[in-house]
Amino acid sequence: MTSLALALLPLSRNQLSSLIPSHFRRRTGSTSPRNALAHRAEKWTRFSAPNDAPLEEESIGWIPKVESTFGSDALALRVAAILLAAGVTITTAEAAETTRFPAMQHENVILSVHAATDQAAMEPLIRDFQALSPNVTVEYTEYLTNELFIQATAVCEGKQESMDLVLSSSVDHLVKLVNDGCAARYRSPTTLRMPSWTRWRDEVFGFTFEPAVIVFNKDLVPPEDVRRTRAELIDLLRSKPETYQGKIGTYDVSQSGIGYLFASYDARGTTVFGRLLEALGRAQVVTSCCTTDLLSDLSAGRLAIGYNLIGSYAIGAVRRGAPLRVVIPRDYTVVLSRAAFVPRMAREAATGFRFLDYLLSARGQQKSREASFYFSADLAVPEEVDGPMWLSSSGLLRPIAIGPELLAVQDRAKRERLLAEWRRSTSSGANSP
Amino acid sequence: MIERGRSLYSRIILVIGAIFGAGTIALGAAAWFYARIAADDAYDRLLVGAAFQIAESIYAQEGIVSVDPPVSAFETLSLSSSDRIFYKVLDPSGSVLTGYEDLASVQPPVAAEEPMISDGVYKGFPVRIAVVGRHIFDPTASGWANVIVAQTREARTSLARDLTVKALLLVLAMTGLAFIGVLFAIRRALEPLARIERELQSRDPKDLNPLDLETPREIQALVSTINRFMDRLAGRIALMQRFIADAAHQIRTPLAGLASQVDLLSQEVRPERREQQLERVRERTSELGRLTNQLLSHAMVIHRAEVANFEPVELVALARQTLMSAVPLALDRDVDISFEEPPDPVFIFGDAVSIREALSNLIHNALKHGADTRLEVRVLADQDAAVIEVIDDGPGIPASEWQRVREPFHTKSSTGSGLGLAIAGDVVRAHGGEFRFRERSDDGFAVILRFKRVHGPAEPPRADETS
Repeated sequence: MTSLALALLPLSRNQLSSLIPSHFRRRTGSTSPRNALAHRAEKWTRFSAPNDAPLEEESIGWIPKVESTFGSDALALRVAAILLAAGVTITTAEAAETTRFPAMQHENVILSVHAATDQAAMEPLIRDFQALSPNVTVEYTEYLTNELFIQATAVCEGKQESMDLVLSSSVDHLVKLVNDGCAARYRSPTTLRMPSWTRWRDEVFGFTFEPAVIVFNKDLVPPEDVRRTRAELIDLLRSKPETYQGKIGTYDVSQSGIGYLFASYDARGTTVFGRLLEALGRAQVVTSCCTTDLLSDLSAGRLAIGYNLIGSYAIGAVRRGAPLRVVIPRDYTVVLSRAAFVPRMAREAATGFRFLDYLLSARGQQKSREASFYFSADLAVPEEVDGPMWLSSSGLLRPIAIGPELLAVQDRAKRERLLAEWRRSTSSGANSP
Repeated sequence: MIERGRSLYSRIILVIGAIFGAGTIALGAAAWFYARIAADDAYDRLLVGAAFQIAESIYAQEGIVSVDPPVSAFETLSLSSSDRIFYKVLDPSGSVLTGYEDLASVQPPVAAEEPMISDGVYKGFPVRIAVVGRHIFDPTASGWANVIVAQTREARTSLARDLTVKALLLVLAMTGLAFIGVLFAIRRALEPLARIERELQSRDPKDLNPLDLETPREIQALVSTINRFMDRLAGRIALMQRFIADAAHQIRTPLAGLASQVDLLSQEVRPERREQQLERVRERTSELGRLTNQLLSHAMVIHRAEVANFEPVELVALARQTLMSAVPLALDRDVDISFEEPPDPVFIFGDAVSIREALSNLIHNALKHGADTRLEVRVLADQDAAVIEVIDDGPGIPASEWQRVREPFHTKSSTGSGLGLAIAGDVVRAHGGEFRFRERSDDGFAVILRFKRVHGPAEPPRADETS
């Protein structure tokens, strides 16, 4: 309680007005209030007033990592009470949170980046970009992947104000948007050097290299229980049902774009997928919308095994001290390349392209590897990882190629089929003793 | 001054270039047309293949039609790596199972497995659309399901462009070769003209010999025209040179005589001798005048033979008038002068002025050297000849002299220039006629001018009787 009050203290009224409604709205669709709270508490988010006078660097308040031991209702009440006390009118602001990174020198351009990526991961890259382009203010708006898709579609159809850069881990969403003609074409020496699977039409570009991993809590899973293929994992769940019952977590594929993307790659031509779903169902898998939620549950020991998590976030958690073991599956490894494009209607397209170019440049890649996403196609995997030394030459790679094939992932009928299968397996498993 | 026209070379090149240019454009258009067809053909296979793959995945279960578009269908389409893909699957009742709802719908639904391919526009992009049908056998939902797959044209266009550019490069290379060939051919073809030019340029200005060059058939006419022209020029120059030499000689002799007469006259003191001398000077002067006239008349005749336009001339009237004006009012003896004419007018095609000059010279000659008592001018005509005869009863010219007297300055007489017969001969020759003599007989000595007669309606005679 004390820590929360301290945390909220530096926030201004306007900051809260933008925080609170979005917080509620984002949770309304959520199946699990507990997860929502965990997400809020886990996230390292800096709030600022988008339209007010830019905050001074020193006055930016940080919500430290909160050990979330109370229920969401308590928090909501608490926050509402503070708001009422402060006389804040609750505005119907958009669902996402916007953070402003003021230009380091005189501000010439405001670049509005709309992303479905942890701001904590993107911030070092934004700062480094601003070191190169000191006159650019970056407004970073963070969404869940599906929200971003809806917003970007609206922008594409001209129903909403423009975005300058759309960035998402759900590359199938981006490919769909590009296919529908929402993106502007861009060619530069940097983009032309990229491998062909990380770009499409010179419009959408993947700038990261992130394997889907299995994460084990070191405290809960003894080393002999660590499994390195999906088949072995199924065997473990079968052989020790009581140990891992309700202790394995993965994405809720109906809510998480990246979870659905990974699942559809698992479903593609592997016979193990059906058995895996069945095993997960029987083990009463815990599903969540977001990587951060899953990681915090794993770190806190509420979960023992996390399946198909984004490797870079897992490494981030390990580096922050979480007792986790990150395993790269040895049967095959799905690799995601987080992507971005500049919308056709972008007001600051040139700056958008410049940021894109930075992300793809050697400097941006290095920064990304050191501070945000840790993996790289060309270099050895981080030392914390239990996996082959060189991913790209391991023969395990199943990269999610950015291209029209991803439209199949976006197919409505296919999606419904996968979701139905998912629900059937997980719910039947939940029902079975 | 020669008007400077565009060079033959550049004219030919312009025409050939225009033809080649038009040909290249036409071939380029044709190449683009066929390349588009070829590109469409190639990519249509992928499109239809993908549509079939999706159609294969349509199935019915307990009355519900579903579809599970295979990833391989999208991978097939993504072989044209940069193209956008739009698709839609309709169940037999026409409701959309999956895909883009507003994608071009088919009316009525395709009820055959045969793919239907067409062009269209979707979301502002030009697309190629394939529609395939699949028959669903199900008790409750039987009918034709349709799969519509559309793909943007970028890969097709770039393939078509690629093919066109390659075809055009070939066409351009071929055209270039042909053009270079044509350039050489034209240079070769025009080479004889340059040879003629070099030949004429390097010639001595006085050299009027015919060109002796091997020439192609096409410019033989030009060369022979040049040669004819030079021939005529050489003839005229020779004539003029001879005439000038002769005239100078002829005038110098009587002038010298006149000068000595005048010397004598100035030294003479006796009045009767003075009178006699003066009479001689007068005679010499008039002779000199006559000579000069004849020289000029000869020059005129030669000149007219070259330049005068031939016209129909009525010979009878011309002869009569000439006779009347040529006979002087006073003669030192009695001469009987008569004129004989045919009943009809006689036309020839010629130059009235020179014919009159020729005839009058003959009459003068006859009166001066020939006729004792009689001078007769006859105009005769037969079917194709018109003849003028000048007859006198004088001594005539012996046959041995006939050839010589036709040339100018032949005479040995001190009073005659000997030009009269030469003038007549020249005139008749210029008219393509004959100049003859008839030996002295009872009738007398005759000088005959024979011309070619013209008559009949084809050449209506226009008499030149006024001059």
